[in-house]
Amino acid sequence: MIDLKKPLPQELIDLPESDFQMVQSEEIHDEKFQTKPIGFFKDAMIRLSKSAVAVTSFTIIVLIILSSLIVPNITGYGYRQQNIAAKDLPPRIPLLEDIGIADGTRVLKNRKKEALSDTSRYPEGSVLEIVREFEAKGVAMVDVKVDAYVYAGVPTDEYHWFGTDYLGRDLCTRLFKGARVSLIIAFVSVVTNVIIGVIYGAISGYYGGKVDIVMTHFAEVLDGLPYVVVTILFMLLLGAGITSLILAMCVTGWIGTSRLIRAQFFRFKEREYVLAARTLGVGDIALIFRHILPNCVGPLITRAMIAIPGAIFSESFLAYIGLGIAPPEPSIGILLSDGQNVLLQYPYQTFFPAVLISVLMIAFNMFANGLRDALDPTKRGEE
Amino acid sequence: MAAEMMNNDVILSVKDLRINFRAYGGLVQAVRGVSFDLHRGETLAIVGESGSGKSVSIKAILGILANNAIIESGEILYDGMDLTKVTEDDFHQIRGKRIGLIFQDPLSALNPIMKIGKQITEVLHLHTKMTKEQARARAIELMEAVGIPDAPRRFEQYPFQFSGGMRQRIVIAIALAGDPEILICDEPTTALDVTVQAKILELINQIKKDRNLSVIFITHDLGVVANMADRVNVMYAGKIVETGTAEEIFFEPAHPYTWALLSSMPDLQTKERLMAIPGTPPNMIYPPKGDAFAARNRYAMKIDFEKEPPFFKLSDTHMAATWLLHPKASAVNKIEMPEILRARIERMKKMGEANNG
Amino acid sequence: MADSNYDSNYILEVKHLCQSFTSGRGKKKITVHAVDDVSFGVRPAETFGLVGESGCGKTTTGRTIIRLYNPTSGEMYFNGRDIAGKMDKDLRKYLTDNIAMIFQDPIESLNPRMTIEEIVGEGLKIRGVTDPKEVRSRVVSMLRKVGLTEEHATRYPHEFSGGQRQRIGIARAIITEPKLVIADEPVSALDVSIQAQVINLLNDLKEEMGLTILFIAHNLSVVKYFSDRIGVMYFGKLVEVANGDDLYKHPLHPYTKALLSAIPEPNPLTERTRQRVDYDPKRDHDYSQEKPSMVEVEPGHFVYCSPSELEKYKAEIAAR
Repeated sequence: MIDLKKPLPQELIDLPESDFQMVQSEEIHDEKFQTKPIGFFKDAMIRLSKSAVAVTSFTIIVLIILSSLIVPNITGYGYRQQNIAAKDLPPRIPLLEDIGIADGTRVLKNRKKEALSDTSRYPEGSVLEIVREFEAKGVAMVDVKVDAYVYAGVPTDEYHWFGTDYLGRDLCTRLFKGARVSLIIAFVSVVTNVIIGVIYGAISGYYGGKVDIVMTHFAEVLDGLPYVVVTILFMLLLGAGITSLILAMCVTGWIGTSRLIRAQFFRFKEREYVLAARTLGVGDIALIFRHILPNCVGPLITRAMIAIPGAIFSESFLAYIGLGIAPPEPSIGILLSDGQNVLLQYPYQTFFPAVLISVLMIAFNMFANGLRDALDPTKRGEE
Repeated sequence: MAAEMMNNDVILSVKDLRINFRAYGGLVQAVRGVSFDLHRGETLAIVGESGSGKSVSIKAILGILANNAIIESGEILYDGMDLTKVTEDDFHQIRGKRIGLIFQDPLSALNPIMKIGKQITEVLHLHTKMTKEQARARAIELMEAVGIPDAPRRFEQYPFQFSGGMRQRIVIAIALAGDPEILICDEPTTALDVTVQAKILELINQIKKDRNLSVIFITHDLGVVANMADRVNVMYAGKIVETGTAEEIFFEPAHPYTWALLSSMPDLQTKERLMAIPGTPPNMIYPPKGDAFAARNRYAMKIDFEKEPPFFKLSDTHMAATWLLHPKASAVNKIEMPEILRARIERMKKMGEANNG
Repeated sequence: MADSNYDSNYILEVKHLCQSFTSGRGKKKITVHAVDDVSFGVRPAETFGLVGESGCGKTTTGRTIIRLYNPTSGEMYFNGRDIAGKMDKDLRKYLTDNIAMIFQDPIESLNPRMTIEEIVGEGLKIRGVTDPKEVRSRVVSMLRKVGLTEEHATRYPHEFSGGQRQRIGIARAIITEPKLVIADEPVSALDVSIQAQVINLLNDLKEEMGLTILFIAHNLSVVKYFSDRIGVMYFGKLVEVANGDDLYKHPLHPYTKALLSAIPEPNPLTERTRQRVDYDPKRDHDYSQEKPSMVEVEPGHFVYCSPSELEKYKAEIAAR
């Protein structure tokens, strides 16, 4: 502290007089920005790309989609191609088989020991190892580990990565073909739902009043329809297929989206910037699409992203209770339902579809979470 | 009056407090070396715009800084303790009981689903050993003290049944429940209407007198400062730039920021063009070299951009950190406070004389 | 135009305006009279201040004039044209060409998804200025006028400080060169040091463009400084209208007196001896016998009062 009544300290006396020249010009302007202009979505994408979880799940989703497009064409098997001889084969994958995983072997239980030498039943080289020997009612019995491929008599250069089903169809081909079907059902139904939901919710929320009351009540009535019944009706009408499944999912699926959009519109339509646009003479359509809707995009995308695994799951559920698409077309749900019949004998037939659907669901949910955070306007500009 | 104040014992002392916040993009230097004393029985006002560090300093005193805050250095001495080093558990014995707090927004300070009476007695049970009946009687007494009519009936009501002003009275009653000796008011009337604000200010002044409280009053409204304060700290960019008694700050301001602040708001008799403060406050991640106000200062000199000004002492109670007070500044330039401010001070003095004489 | 005293000079005239909002249906229906029988006139190129506490209906009045709400009853005229009638394309165009609005919240009032150029230029585009170059150049010159630079046009609102956003809001309102600007609490959300920037800017623009301004605020000091005449509102009613100095020196209505006595002034000498008056409508008025109405007590000074109160006020005027 410098006491002005006492002599100044030397270092202050030493300050040159030129230091005390006034330097401010008359006008002091606003500072220029140091940063580059960044649009909302660019900003969101930057933040999204910094989230490891979101990037990982996005990569997984892309990989699964690519696989569903490519894998069925390169396995060398058709998804409907049957081979009764090669039915229920366990997985066999090149390279991995050398280290004892997915080597196409299976343990046959309670076999008569003497039959092992019968080459018509046990072709040469099919028996690998006798796991257990025992006696039942005086007959020598064994549990024997066989190479299922040799045992079934299929050529040794045949590989079924995920095994085959009860008709000898390659499960790998069917699984990714099924994933493609499931994803198509999910994407188409979600996109349709979003479009219907946005338009319905926007009109209902923007105009409010009587329009809103009528529209909301109509949606409530529709929402009351049990959707299994709706699905059965469509199946009866149009036959079991992708179209009827999508239609069934769309009858009530959009209601959630429309509620979300309606709530967002109620929230935003009294905002001052919307009022400001109204005082400038902006028309209803421009207000809805230019001023209000873009602010709903965040929650909307997030919701759509969460709806996709939901739709995949619904499809599986319907397939499981026998309301899936018609055979021989596969879908993840159909594969699960088929696999479940032989779960104890051939668990791999359930395992692979189950893993795929779980990974899909988790990846979509994680990605949706990342998107929600990235699109959250309160986190704008953060790095 | 000022001299008396100095002789009174110091109840709370903040010494060279520095607080940073970890944020995206770097460390925000919210408080950069703040020192002040609070004397027993006085009202100390801290004035500044948002981001000046006034609320952060107060939160440090109460031990309620956000998790990303770092107390870089400094101490807050109260009753032989350094509050920057007190643990959260021990703070429970200080906060509410010995240092009371009144928030800005009375609505969010009250629990909407708990009865008013319960919210007051809860504090009483926390800090004193009272039976249920005693606590109830004490709570009703407190409610009456803060001017709530029909207190026994209102005791059973919920916050939504109270108007804004009445809610703020409840918040004050809760702050008084622990019988504190320091009362900290963080913009307690900003959310209220003028007529309600006047009543709440009167109430705070009244209880301060009745209980001999020491009050720290944070606000950006200079009218409220004039009404409440014995002494005033003016803060800018995390520092105190001027400190003095209310009379000194209002009638003999010395720092150009104080000048700007005083001449930027119209009072009921202002006719002249207002002196706007141009530009915006500095980014506290990269606080400017020298005097932080220099870039917006009409009176900025070359040295302001280079060297931080020391505090110049104008009287026992009055200090300002500006190079304008260096004798060479007035030797080189003709320095006068803005005309609008000079005229207003003249007018205010006259009005004051007319009022008091 | 019935008021005979001085009406032909009004650019905006509001007569017996009522605005009520209902919520709920059937038995639960609640009607709130936000604006109740409000009448006043605004002269060309003047600033008319509307002051009152939160919930007094001042914002609703402003929003009804620009027809964000449809008035429940009453008349409104702009330059002699009825603007309270049915909202059609023609009236919408007339209103948006002549009246603009500045909003309170600098964060809320700019669309976060639009650039400053889009925000400020929107009014031009609606009025048929389609050439992007012309829009651009007019936006830039308007930004300069409010103290911003060309470089700011491509930015998004979140990059600006509160004062800058409010100046953008002003640019948006006046780019279409309206005759009347309704400024709804344009400075109350800003820091003290920034408020003067915005007030000075509005003052400059008013002089430069010959604007008429309806200035709505709760801070009487600001309203008094900025306005030529002031209307005081209390619970949906306009209780007193006078020019600024009259209102400050000779308030008549007890609510105006209470309001004036409650405003803290930056003067420690007067503040410490402040005498506050309370206003209690039940105690201060007895309207059981006589109905109150808006009366011109002295030239240009209107008070909402009953005949006996009028006598009292007249005596008060005579005594000074």
